[in-house]
Amino acid sequence: MSKKAPIVAQTQDGLNSEAPGAAFRECFIEVDGFRIRYMEAGQGTPLVHLHGAGGMRLTPGHDLLSRHCRVIAFEMPGFGSSPENTRTRTMAELAATMATAVSNLGIDNFNLMGTSFGGKVALWLAVQQPERVEALVLEAPAAIRPTGSEPPSGSPEEMARRLYAHPERLSALPVPDPAVQAKTRALVARLRGPDRDADLESRMRRLPTPTLVLFGTLDRVIPPEMGRFYKELLPNCHLVFVYDAGHAIGTERPEAFTEVTLDFLERREAFVVSRTKTVIHP
Amino acid sequence: MKVSYFETGRYVSPPDLPREWPVPAGSYNPETGAEAYRGMVERVRFVEELGFDWVSVSEHHYSPRILTPSPVVSAAYLAARVDKIKIAMLGPIVPVSNPIRVAEEVAMLDTMAPGRIVVGLLRGTTNEYLSYDLNPKESRERTDEGMELILKAWTEPQPFGWQGRYFQYRTVSVWPRPQSQPHPPTYALGTSAEAGEFAARHRLGIGLSYGTFELMAKSANYYREQCARYGWEPGPDDIIYRANMILAETDDAAEEALRRRDRQAPFPIRGGLRDALLQSDTTRNIAGERRPANVGGVLPISFCGGPDRVVEQLRQCREEVGAGVVDLSLQDPGTGNLAGMMHALELFGKKVLPRIRDL
Repeated sequence: MSKKAPIVAQTQDGLNSEAPGAAFRECFIEVDGFRIRYMEAGQGTPLVHLHGAGGMRLTPGHDLLSRHCRVIAFEMPGFGSSPENTRTRTMAELAATMATAVSNLGIDNFNLMGTSFGGKVALWLAVQQPERVEALVLEAPAAIRPTGSEPPSGSPEEMARRLYAHPERLSALPVPDPAVQAKTRALVARLRGPDRDADLESRMRRLPTPTLVLFGTLDRVIPPEMGRFYKELLPNCHLVFVYDAGHAIGTERPEAFTEVTLDFLERREAFVVSRTKTVIHP
Repeated sequence: MKVSYFETGRYVSPPDLPREWPVPAGSYNPETGAEAYRGMVERVRFVEELGFDWVSVSEHHYSPRILTPSPVVSAAYLAARVDKIKIAMLGPIVPVSNPIRVAEEVAMLDTMAPGRIVVGLLRGTTNEYLSYDLNPKESRERTDEGMELILKAWTEPQPFGWQGRYFQYRTVSVWPRPQSQPHPPTYALGTSAEAGEFAARHRLGIGLSYGTFELMAKSANYYREQCARYGWEPGPDDIIYRANMILAETDDAAEEALRRRDRQAPFPIRGGLRDALLQSDTTRNIAGERRPANVGGVLPISFCGGPDRVVEQLRQCREEVGAGVVDLSLQDPGTGNLAGMMHALELFGKKVLPRIRDL
């Protein structure tokens, strides 16, 4: 993994002048009868990303990560422009499909990142095939939720207020296609599972994979206090709060998100040892 | 109404002491300093006997005006020497502090003196940033983030990392945890919209200081509005008002003392430096309304009179500002008439305090 480029979204090279994900190319892969779309950019160690319940949306965080590793962001079957998915019955099934998708790209071992709903898929994938997942990053994961919590819904403005700590600082969310919204909602409702999934949690207790759990301090979808449950359950878990971010950490604080993610992926447990230089005048 | 005595470590300066901030360390007299700290204990025992509810200590640097650069050391020193009175650390200045250190030290104190520690977290005045070389332009955001981190360090049961803008830690897990759960009574100190919003969001109290009742009411109202937005209603103890008081046997005697009061700050900052500080700190506000920063100016007298008039003024403060705790200086910090201050404290304890309990 390269550490050469600085982790700054506001750069001279026009990164910020284009929509997030401009450097990514669109590809497709056949898996279990699904034609799965994915976006890819960057070189080096593969970092597979599984999106949240709203579907794949590339962020400045993806752009920054792709400067240092090969980012493969999947659109899981039934989300976005893909046909309605009425076949996948459980999170475990969806995770198995995504693991096969990675295999079909010729990738054996990889780093895995899951956002919100995708965090739960990523956990299922990791507990199913722990030998393949080198390290796991869970961005505001929705695998453990307060009783009765609901995924964000409503108008773009209402969604933004749930997803972001500071919606006023970001461009407006696109108006969703009602048909896409309807099929996605049905899929998420079917797959998201209970707020506390005893089966998954018992498997999490035996998962040795180094795991980084990130929560924004102003997450209004999943309370950041949920982070402590991952720390309790996973034997090799690091919990990091990203200050002043909401649920969509990679969108709101891309530099902070990318720095801690890359540092963890590079050094795993050793990432707690500071390498920050404090010399002012040598 | 509760009453707090603001203890500043009374260093009685000789007349020939240089009068400019920073005051040269070479002009410090160890005997005078030792006496200042011995006197802290005597004064706090005295006000404890008089029935004061709290003693407050603060953080200020590089002059004898307030000889307490470390509020935690002051609080620990006093906590070991008095028994009943609550000790309010109305410091530390968060943007120049290590928030984890603050969380640890307060948790220690709260465990050593259970139920007796009160904490105020603040941005501090602009001149304080010179002491630890802080860019004033970063002070607001460092304060907000530092306060958030302190609260998280007190309340998060699992080890965690903090990926901030100004603070970064990969491993935080403070021991001891505060004895008071979730943490000791905590106030965001300041009149700004930011302080009010922060306090409301975290269900903290607010500490206002030195402004007129009208301005402080504006700030307190903003805080109450924010609390309502977050679904709760603060009580009287949630609003502290720190102020100067001149109390004498009669109104005339107090007015005369007010007339004699030095109009100049005891250790002013040189003009050029003062201007530079003012230019570097332009975000001060009262409930969102822009105000110039206060850089070493003379602080006003909010209460002045004999006991009857002062009781009436305190009633007015309670009604208009809503403050349920007043934190009082009965003589300007940095001035040396200790006997006069002790007399005023005694007068307050006997003639004022019993009459404001039910306000």
